[in-house]
Amino acid sequence: MVDTKKQHFIVIDDSKLDCFIAEKVIRNTGKCESVQSFLQAKEALEYIKKDIAEKPYPNIVLVDIQMPVMNGFQFVEEFEKLPAEITNKYRLYVISSSINDVDLSKVHTYRSITEFLNKPITSNNLSLLLAKV
Amino acid sequence: MNSTEKIKILYIDDEQNNLTSFKANFRFDYNVLIAATTDVATGLLRDNPDTRIILCDQRMPDKTGVQFFEEIRTEFPEPVRMLITGYTDIESVIDAINRGHIFRYIRKPWTDADVQSAIEEGNKFFLTNSLLHSRNTELQSAYDELGKFAYSVTHDLRGPLLSLLGALEIAKASESAEELKEIHSMMGESIKKLDEFIRNIHEYYSLKRGRLVFEPIDFNAIVHDTVALFRIAGIMDHIRFNADVKQEGKFLCDEISLKIILNNLLSNAFKYQRKSAIDKFVEVNIESNSENAIIFVTDNGIGIHPNHINNIFTMFYRATSEETGSGFGLYNVKDALNKLKGEIEVTSKVNEGTTFKITIPGKPNG
Repeated sequence: MVDTKKQHFIVIDDSKLDCFIAEKVIRNTGKCESVQSFLQAKEALEYIKKDIAEKPYPNIVLVDIQMPVMNGFQFVEEFEKLPAEITNKYRLYVISSSINDVDLSKVHTYRSITEFLNKPITSNNLSLLLAKV
Repeated sequence: MNSTEKIKILYIDDEQNNLTSFKANFRFDYNVLIAATTDVATGLLRDNPDTRIILCDQRMPDKTGVQFFEEIRTEFPEPVRMLITGYTDIESVIDAINRGHIFRYIRKPWTDADVQSAIEEGNKFFLTNSLLHSRNTELQSAYDELGKFAYSVTHDLRGPLLSLLGALEIAKASESAEELKEIHSMMGESIKKLDEFIRNIHEYYSLKRGRLVFEPIDFNAIVHDTVALFRIAGIMDHIRFNADVKQEGKFLCDEISLKIILNNLLSNAFKYQRKSAIDKFVEVNIESNSENAIIFVTDNGIGIHPNHINNIFTMFYRATSEETGSGFGLYNVKDALNKLKGEIEVTSKVNEGTTFKITIPGKPNG
């Protein structure tokens, strides 16, 4: 049964409110096994490096672009350096308020970014995304 | 460059007599450098980067004046180049002028009036060029800032708005009073963030466009006003604050700029505290007399990592994701200090705290 497959989620956003919104929307889909939020991309990266648990489905990562210290693109670059047995377990989505052409076209230059999502995240666009997974 | 200073010119000729008489004729009107060989001339240009005009004889022993000018053009693009020559070389001169290497030529034997008018014209050309150059540089930096600005505005204004939109969606679906309360308080934070950004833009604009108004400063009053706002906003809660002001004599300065500086530094000091710390403190020390004011703002907060410390005054740079910030505050501080000809130093240690030291010269009375 397709409906029963539940996902693990990781949200990376320096805005507490945006993490909160994402968590709520994710939990409301009913397809959420777990959701972890990080205000700093570096911490998320450490978490991903250490997380060796076997999961039947890829984890879904929603990462914001503009963040201090390590931004979304820097995070993706670091992520892509990790060994394939780790990166294979994740599916990256960029989520941003940006309407900047440079940001939008940059998204396509990273092989590991599946899709770009506009903020705010809603149950509608999240459901569409999950239907494709 | 001071226009009342004598114009610096370099005259190159292999005949010592010409050099001597040139210097004798023009040393009262201009700052005259002379060189008997092109090598000496190059050395002089290196030592005198403020040379505005170069006059060179076309027939030098090792090369022609035109060749010399072509050679030095890349290293010394600014000085205006003039050739001194007899009629016989006229073809090569026309060629050189047409190729843009030479501003004008002076016929040999020259008269004082010829040389003088050539130098005056050349100087006007030099001044117009350097004015154009500095305006272009200003314009370029204004464009760069505008670019950053437009980029950041989409994030810093749009971000909090979209957060509010998202929060509203969740609130609609929520049935728990507890959760609604939580959502409302987060929405409040988002609105505050937006407001802070708009206030920072206002500060930025007042600094860029505003004229400085110098008046006697009462530091006690400025600190009092600034801190009163923080107290109302609750950002000083559980933080020990101490202000020590020693003011002797009249210190003349622009009050708005001073308020922007203190407001941003103190707001950062209160904001970037270690949440778990037991004894949080912020201290401001001000000593001033009629000549200058020295201000220390010290906290025992999270500190700034050495990797970030060189960038903290850059527009929109943020060294931490703790707390909300626009990346505008310290840029505005630096900008205000530039206008006041003041200086800022920062010493910081991660998890121990940060001290900013500011020195501002007072405007002389009258």
